Amino acid sequence: MLGTYGMFLVSGLAVGALYALGGVGLVILNRATGVLNFAYGAIGAVGAMTAWQVLEWHLPEPLAWAAAMGVSLALSLGFGLLVAPQLAHREPVIKAVATLGFALCLLGLMNLIWMVTSRKLGLFSDSLGFSIIGVRINGTRLIALAGGVTATIAMGIYLSRTCTGLLMRALADNREVAAILGVPVRRVEAIAWGISGVLAGFTGLLFGGLVRLDPAVLTFLVIPVIATTIIGRLKSIPVTFVAGLLIGVTESMLTLVKPLAPFRVAAPFVIATLALMWLQRGRRLTFAGED
Amino acid sequence: MKSHLWGGSAAIAVLLLLSAGSAAAAPSCGLNNGRAATGEPIKVGAIVGRTGPDDFSSASRAAKAYFDCVNANGGIHGRPIEYLVEDDQWNPEVAAQVATKLVKDEDVVALVGNASFVEMGVNAKLYEEEGVMAMASGCAVAECFESKNIVSTNEGPLPSSVGAAQWAVANLGSTNVVCIGLTIPSVGPYSCGWVEKYMQSKNLAGTSVLLDPSAADMNSAFLEAVASGADTVLVNLPAGMAAAFLKAALESGQRDSYKWISSTPLYDRDVPAMLGTDWSGVMYVNIELTPIDGKGPDASNWRAVLDAFGTADDPRDTFSQAGYLSARFFVAAILQQDPAKLDRATVTEAIRNIKNYTSDLLCGPYYVGPGDRHMPNHANMMVQMIEGGYKIVGECMDVDSAYLDPYRANEKALGIVN
Amino acid sequence: MMASDPPVVSTPALALWRSRSIGLLLLVAALALLPPLLLASLWLKVLTGVAIYTLTAAAIALLYRRLGLVSLAHVALMGAGGWVGLRLAYGLGTPFEVNMLAGGIAAAGLGMVFAYPALRMRGLYLALVTLMIAGAFAIIVNVLQFPNGGGGWSGFAVKSAGYMPRPAIASNDVGYYAYCVVVTALGMALIHWHEIGKAGRAWALIRRSEAAAMSSGVDVPFYKVWAFALSGFLAGIAGVLLAGNLQMLDARSFPAAESVMIFALTIVGGAWNPVGALIAAALYRLVPALLNDFGVNGDAAYIIFGAALIHALATAPRGIAGQLEDLASRLFGRSNGGNTR
Repeated sequence: MLGTYGMFLVSGLAVGALYALGGVGLVILNRATGVLNFAYGAIGAVGAMTAWQVLEWHLPEPLAWAAAMGVSLALSLGFGLLVAPQLAHREPVIKAVATLGFALCLLGLMNLIWMVTSRKLGLFSDSLGFSIIGVRINGTRLIALAGGVTATIAMGIYLSRTCTGLLMRALADNREVAAILGVPVRRVEAIAWGISGVLAGFTGLLFGGLVRLDPAVLTFLVIPVIATTIIGRLKSIPVTFVAGLLIGVTESMLTLVKPLAPFRVAAPFVIATLALMWLQRGRRLTFAGED
Repeated sequence: MKSHLWGGSAAIAVLLLLSAGSAAAAPSCGLNNGRAATGEPIKVGAIVGRTGPDDFSSASRAAKAYFDCVNANGGIHGRPIEYLVEDDQWNPEVAAQVATKLVKDEDVVALVGNASFVEMGVNAKLYEEEGVMAMASGCAVAECFESKNIVSTNEGPLPSSVGAAQWAVANLGSTNVVCIGLTIPSVGPYSCGWVEKYMQSKNLAGTSVLLDPSAADMNSAFLEAVASGADTVLVNLPAGMAAAFLKAALESGQRDSYKWISSTPLYDRDVPAMLGTDWSGVMYVNIELTPIDGKGPDASNWRAVLDAFGTADDPRDTFSQAGYLSARFFVAAILQQDPAKLDRATVTEAIRNIKNYTSDLLCGPYYVGPGDRHMPNHANMMVQMIEGGYKIVGECMDVDSAYLDPYRANEKALGIVN
Repeated sequence: MMASDPPVVSTPALALWRSRSIGLLLLVAALALLPPLLLASLWLKVLTGVAIYTLTAAAIALLYRRLGLVSLAHVALMGAGGWVGLRLAYGLGTPFEVNMLAGGIAAAGLGMVFAYPALRMRGLYLALVTLMIAGAFAIIVNVLQFPNGGGGWSGFAVKSAGYMPRPAIASNDVGYYAYCVVVTALGMALIHWHEIGKAGRAWALIRRSEAAAMSSGVDVPFYKVWAFALSGFLAGIAGVLLAGNLQMLDARSFPAAESVMIFALTIVGGAWNPVGALIAAALYRLVPALLNDFGVNGDAAYIIFGAALIHALATAPRGIAGQLEDLASRLFGRSNGGNTR
């Protein structure tokens, strides 16, 4: 029985790594720009579809990886530089729902370019891998886990040790004050949009390989990923990462609880809501002002 | 030198023969008299799920090609068919709107070539109230086969998955089948539930693993299937999801511990290439109509009609065959009517009177009849996935399920011989 | 603005005509009765959808306008109300109005559960909590489906489609359209009645400063919960109306992203004006139907729609209704300008 639990644990960590990676990318952007990007999934999906196209043309795989991240970088940066500033004066929720508009645009575009049909994205890392307690973990999942850990640590160092990182933190704490103090808001935001775009492409590629290469599925996968960021209070990258793993494991373990098994995809939402209630316990009524 | 010349003329002769052959493969539609129909148009509708998680328009594209071909060949005794295709966008509300438009505003005489996940359940009542028949071609939900005014040429997930299990029990020695389906009750539990019942009726074991359509975690689903103790895995998922599930199975290194069967979604020209060689010779797929590369008159005519009147991107898949066939049967039925008196009532009557129509694309006869539920097509074939294609491994076999009892009673009353 | 119009000295008949409530009644009657005479069945069906979603948008706008609260779960609330309504219709065979009220009350209860986190948080964070609820609802209802006359507590069975009866007085599409318009108008009147009453004053104080509201004796938690309950009630009613429109519901109508969409459109329509809700619903249901009817490819429609959404959010802070209001006051500025400031 322990063996069965172990199998589901490992399997859960593997999917949790994906949630975690996605969540980290969302938090990085939100910290620096105050935008929760609903289009994160769609940007990643365009990257994944581009990679598929490159592989379909029989070009080398490294080019596909580069293309995925390059296209996602361009889309994220494009939105960040051209559209986001127009919304800078609006409250965070409005900025967030505006990105849903961008997601719809990208989804429509993808369905126009790539006719809706079943596709599969094969990556070099799929055939690599090893076994732990009877579960085989392939290389792509390891890349997802390693990517998540690297992004978490690297962003931690970046934010605490570099000058741009310091500016980003200043921006996150209070935009108005940061601007008055001479933080080059646009430039710092552009860097954040860029980093988040590359991460979106990387994540989209891994999701495309591990989940399904389907623009609509990848686009709306952002909603369970948002659950991880809630637990991290939209601020903490390490907490978000751990939350992603935890959600993945819970979702997988629920398979063993028969009556709940068909509902297990709801796990991210339920966990996020419960975690939040617990985090907010004892907190008094807040007064109007900032969140 | 001489022999070379001979070789050359032989080649020319072969070319001439080939072109003669392709001329012989010119499509044959309706009256087939080569005269364009110019009379008062007859309005026929279709509702397909084009925009959304999947594109289900291939049935209506094939039906459109066939109708165009009919219109170029005498129409319905000189009257052309005006074919109006609407997209339900996989949205129940839109499905109701476009049905209202076709049935009430455009006053179509019938619907032909419908293919959707949502349309049938929403509109079955409207069709019955308005006395219009829907000759569907792509049904995926239970409601479609349990409505008075809907009859589909395809057979849906239930006969397809039960047929696969039945074949595996007989030919692979399966004793315990786990059916992997969607959580949507009228799709997954409907078809996998009847697979379980089939297994139980044979004193064998059957279980289901149900997945949310947006599920990301295929590994756990596979582990759940493993935990069921099955010896055979029946993949009953849309192709994209099936590919993800099979990838997880392959990753686990446990492919060879199981026998693999699937319902129709994995029967598609592009699927063998998508799944790769790992599944060649391993995966057995149930097909609802006869193979897409069949040699019979309807199989050849279907391809010829699409080549002549369709476009290059119209898919040549099972739904397309079903759309062609629905359109052909519809035309055959209304050609027997007085063209001056073709209205909804007479067309509905003509469709209801369809009996013992046959085609090499179907395993059994096609009929409609007055019943309150219709599933004329419930015999199917099995193919084995091989490198780059499929090989027939099981000829036409009727599906053995108690679900079909009411349909068989209808058939008996109508005098349909299978 | 109109309430502060200068008193009109005129004949009684004209005074009656000028009276706002009579005017509104006539407007509602016109909206309910005229379109069926002028439009094809398709557009009547579309407008029924618009009427229903107007109520949902008005419920979302109420929370946003009065308390600055964002709900990204209103489509899910509609689904919950619809579920209860269908369950009662099949389980007890109760009349449509009873089912509608029950659906509304159930959704109000759910709204109050949301209000619990709302007492302690706001803004994006609260919005995301409601989004989580919408996400969970979409998955749960996908498994349970909506009642269709089956047995058991879920009331669902795999069988031929069942159809919920419509109200006896409005069983055909024309009657049902008018019915929806009237119910939506009543719902908006309920909102208005709250806003001009004690609740409205309490909400206004809370919005300005919760500390001030509390110190002046307003029961802040109660009025916040009350706003959520009212908003949920109206969404639940809209859900049962939607169930009556199709005479059934399908889980595919309720993905989480739809809830985000209807909120976004409520903002685009304009949350500060009742007309905004109508605009939001028209954008949600009428514009896609028009695009579909013009033969615009569904995917291209997505692109147009997404771009328009971003544009509207960026350029019209008070929504389209706000812009129309500005336009109107510029056109008729002289008659009104003195009173507005």
